[in-house]
Amino acid sequence: MNFRLSTAGQHAAGIAQIMKQQTLLAQTQQQVASGKRIQTPADDPVASVRILGIERAQSQLEQYGRNAGIAADRLGLGEQSLSDVGTLLQRVHELTVKANNGSLDDVSLKSIATELRSRAQELMEIANRQDSNDEYLFAGYSSGTRPFSDAGSGVTYGGDQGVRQLQISSSQKIADSFQGQRVFMDVTEGNGSFVVENGTNSVSAGVNQGTGVIGASQIVDAAAWAAAAASAAAALPPLANEYSIHFIDNTVPGDGVAEAWELLDAAGNPAMDGGAPPAPIQGNYVSGGSISFHGIQVTLSGTPAVGDSFTVRPAGKESLFKTIDDLAAALENGAGSTRQQAVLGTNLNKALAQLDQGLTHVLELRTEIGARLSSLDTAASLREDLDAQMTGTLSGLRDIDYAEAISRLNQQLTGLQAAQAAYAKIGQMSLFDWLR
Amino acid sequence: MLNVALSGLRAFQRALDTTSHNIANVATPGYSRQRVDLSTMPPHGVAGLQIGSGVGVDGVSRNADDLLSAQLRRASSSYSRLDAYATKAGSLNNLFADSQTGLSAALQRYTNALQGVASTPSSIPARQVLLSEADGLVTRLQTYDARLSDIETGINEQLRAEATSINSIAQNIARLNQEIQRATGSGTTPNDLLDARDRQLADLSKLIDTSVVKQGDGTVNVSIGSGQPLVLGVLSSEVVAQPTEFQPERMTIAFRTSSGTTDISASLSGGSVGGLLDFRREMLDPARSELGRMAVALTEVTNAQHHAGVDLNGNLGGDFFEVGGAQVFAARSNISGTTLTATRTGAGDLIAADYVVRYDGGWKVQRADTGADVPLTIGSGGQLQFGGLSVTVNGTPAIGERFLVKPVGNAIEGLKVVVGDATKIAAAAPIRTLAASTNTGNGTISAGEVLDASDPALRNGVTISITASGWEARDSSNTLLDSGAYTPGGNIEVNGWRVQLGGQPAVGDSFTVTSNTSGVGDNRNALKLATVLGQGVLSGGTESLDAAASRLVSTVGVATSGTNASLEAQQIIYDDSKAALDGLSGVNLDEEAANLVRYQQAYQAAAQMIRVTQSMMDTLFAAFNR
Repeated sequence: MNFRLSTAGQHAAGIAQIMKQQTLLAQTQQQVASGKRIQTPADDPVASVRILGIERAQSQLEQYGRNAGIAADRLGLGEQSLSDVGTLLQRVHELTVKANNGSLDDVSLKSIATELRSRAQELMEIANRQDSNDEYLFAGYSSGTRPFSDAGSGVTYGGDQGVRQLQISSSQKIADSFQGQRVFMDVTEGNGSFVVENGTNSVSAGVNQGTGVIGASQIVDAAAWAAAAASAAAALPPLANEYSIHFIDNTVPGDGVAEAWELLDAAGNPAMDGGAPPAPIQGNYVSGGSISFHGIQVTLSGTPAVGDSFTVRPAGKESLFKTIDDLAAALENGAGSTRQQAVLGTNLNKALAQLDQGLTHVLELRTEIGARLSSLDTAASLREDLDAQMTGTLSGLRDIDYAEAISRLNQQLTGLQAAQAAYAKIGQMSLFDWLR
Repeated sequence: MLNVALSGLRAFQRALDTTSHNIANVATPGYSRQRVDLSTMPPHGVAGLQIGSGVGVDGVSRNADDLLSAQLRRASSSYSRLDAYATKAGSLNNLFADSQTGLSAALQRYTNALQGVASTPSSIPARQVLLSEADGLVTRLQTYDARLSDIETGINEQLRAEATSINSIAQNIARLNQEIQRATGSGTTPNDLLDARDRQLADLSKLIDTSVVKQGDGTVNVSIGSGQPLVLGVLSSEVVAQPTEFQPERMTIAFRTSSGTTDISASLSGGSVGGLLDFRREMLDPARSELGRMAVALTEVTNAQHHAGVDLNGNLGGDFFEVGGAQVFAARSNISGTTLTATRTGAGDLIAADYVVRYDGGWKVQRADTGADVPLTIGSGGQLQFGGLSVTVNGTPAIGERFLVKPVGNAIEGLKVVVGDATKIAAAAPIRTLAASTNTGNGTISAGEVLDASDPALRNGVTISITASGWEARDSSNTLLDSGAYTPGGNIEVNGWRVQLGGQPAVGDSFTVTSNTSGVGDNRNALKLATVLGQGVLSGGTESLDAAASRLVSTVGVATSGTNASLEAQQIIYDDSKAALDGLSGVNLDEEAANLVRYQQAYQAAAQMIRVTQSMMDTLFAAFNR
């Protein structure tokens, strides 16, 4: 086909070609200058949305990282406090052992008691510690209120049982503290199952008169102990699972010597065993020997007086403050007589058992903190991996390949130069030039 | 012989004139090259011989082709439509270009700030960061909305300007029609007038799609839209940019007739006017509705969760955000004065479209963009319920009255953070639970969650005690509220909250649920505020705000790149059509140079003929003078 070209059309086409090349060149130049392949969503809508998603996820990761940092700080403070509590309890334990060797006079016991009182103060300060944000560490949600206070009748906890959870990944939350009730107030009593302590003398209706001292106690048959609890609860009316080891003048009546013991239930009646027919639970007393019933075993030494009693009850919870406070009070009572020594002995043994419980308790809590910190570490490394992976993806989606872009730039430059040269050359061509 | 030579001189004089005219107009847009149509004069017979009597000029005609012109007009109309569309789409696209400052990023920063409050709930600085990020999010939404509104205003102005252009072009065509009619009537071909009219027609088709019909008297009729006669012979009509039936600030294109105006915007599909209208309907309106929908969802879910928390002062949370309401516009033609009031009932049911509500004896609802029917239920109070809206009718409508309901009309305009004071951010849960320290079992109680924040007894103290037969919940005056058998992990729901007991509580153990007074370190509600944003709250609960923000960007991106691709394709079609017409009608200087040489030589030859004639006469005269 014989295709005519108009002169104006020829010029316009030449110019259009140059402008097109310039536009392409400008795009490439912008990509090279910004380092980004995608300038607007229209350049690659799918990638644009993925970029948005990844940037959002990275920003979220960053926030989780900050949360984890705050959690780690607070857990660190908690761990430090618990470690301080452990050291303090250790010291109290040492003092108790020192007081328990039976050779100290009242003055020495009192001075130990004085140190214990100041340790109790110290414990109080630890329990009321604040973090850098002035939040009480052990107050639960009520972190703006001083949680532990002593109005004279023992330390009470004014916080709550809330535990703050911080989000450290999209699916994981971690507690950044412990509530104070759990740390300082709820320490299991005695050996963890039951407590044996000084009762009262049924004759004088006062403190025990003899020199009987409670030693080690343990549970030997947990099922039997649980069964006893169940049968006490099932009684009509229900009874508490509490017993009294009551010393009686039995074998040689009237000699005033407590040769035997009987077990009384919570209502003061003789406790019966599970046999058929049920027989009262009782036995002869041997100093240093053990007394067993309902699956538990108690060691008793010394010489109890007739009517003396020792109470056995299920373990409840006791605060660390009360343990130290009771201990100090027991020491302050002194050990002037053998009878007082016996009372003190029982109290000190009980306190030692309680301190052991406390130390175990603190250790458990510290283990838990360790586990949380290790979760934080795991989460942190997961976050880093994820972040690195996302950065890679992001770069692949968004960043230009410089080698490719530069070569494209050169190609386009050549193209533009060629278009310009062609235009200039062809534009000069005119038949009129030859008409002279 | 002299006459023959003279006819040659005249003809080539004319041809040279035409060539010169062509050369002069080499750069004139729309100029069609002209040529002189030559033919031999009728011969006269002398003694049985046919002697030629020279050359005659039949006329000057232009090299034009109505078919090619029509083709170019169509191509140019489509191209202009896409060009206008793509330009506007590009500005929308650029708005979403920077992912770092985009909506998605603002939303994430706000969520992060919520997490920041959750990490240190009693910290006032963290709370202030949250307030400022919430403001940032609101500002981001409003900036987008304002930009979209600017684009819409721009379209209104452009439509107004283009209507004026259309009218002036229509007048020009009518005037040219008149001149052409006159010239044609007197038997001449008004080449340059025809070119001028073609140019006007081409200009018109850039603005609007036209249909051009040539008449026998040389005039053309131009109709637009669905056949509205813009130019009829020597008469022209007018289009006007006027407010739509419903919204005074929104322009549409109407055709003026003797009886008033008819909105023809629905039938305009080409030209820049068509492109603007299409862009507004297909991209701008949905984008604005989408942003509004997100603002509504953000407000709704955040407020609902915020109400279920307590602030640093121990008070239940109030509204966090406030959002503008739905809008209703009555059609201008309505006569009864009936008004409709629309309220939203749930963000999840909203769609990114407006509705036209029509009264035909009964109510009918259609989507404003597609015209699809929307199912309607009538509420107990006579409200019209559809698409997440409840519309109350005030007054008695007349048959045929119509209303436009915009579900998120004012949403973003009215969007603001209303918490104001950092201490009033409800980061804590309203209740807390605790196990009595005297408990002997190892039962635990969950932290509890709020089911109904509006329950007046929500924060009343309740004790749950374990009995031989299960659990019972009693209030502070020991009134039994609820009881049940104990199952570990089973739900206990009282006073608008829910807790679970776990482990093995002993008979006589008790647990307490109380008001979370002084719970300044509690972050449970802040965590929930952050979580709800990631949950499906839009499109029937299937789409989160994040997803909606991403989808908006991708929709705009896809539409823009699609339009750009179409524009490139159309550019090729346009260029081809233009080249085809240009090839026929355009002036080529080389060709004209050749013609110049040709005609000059012929002219010189004819002049030589006169000289030859003269010298023949001289010879003759000399013979007689001797």
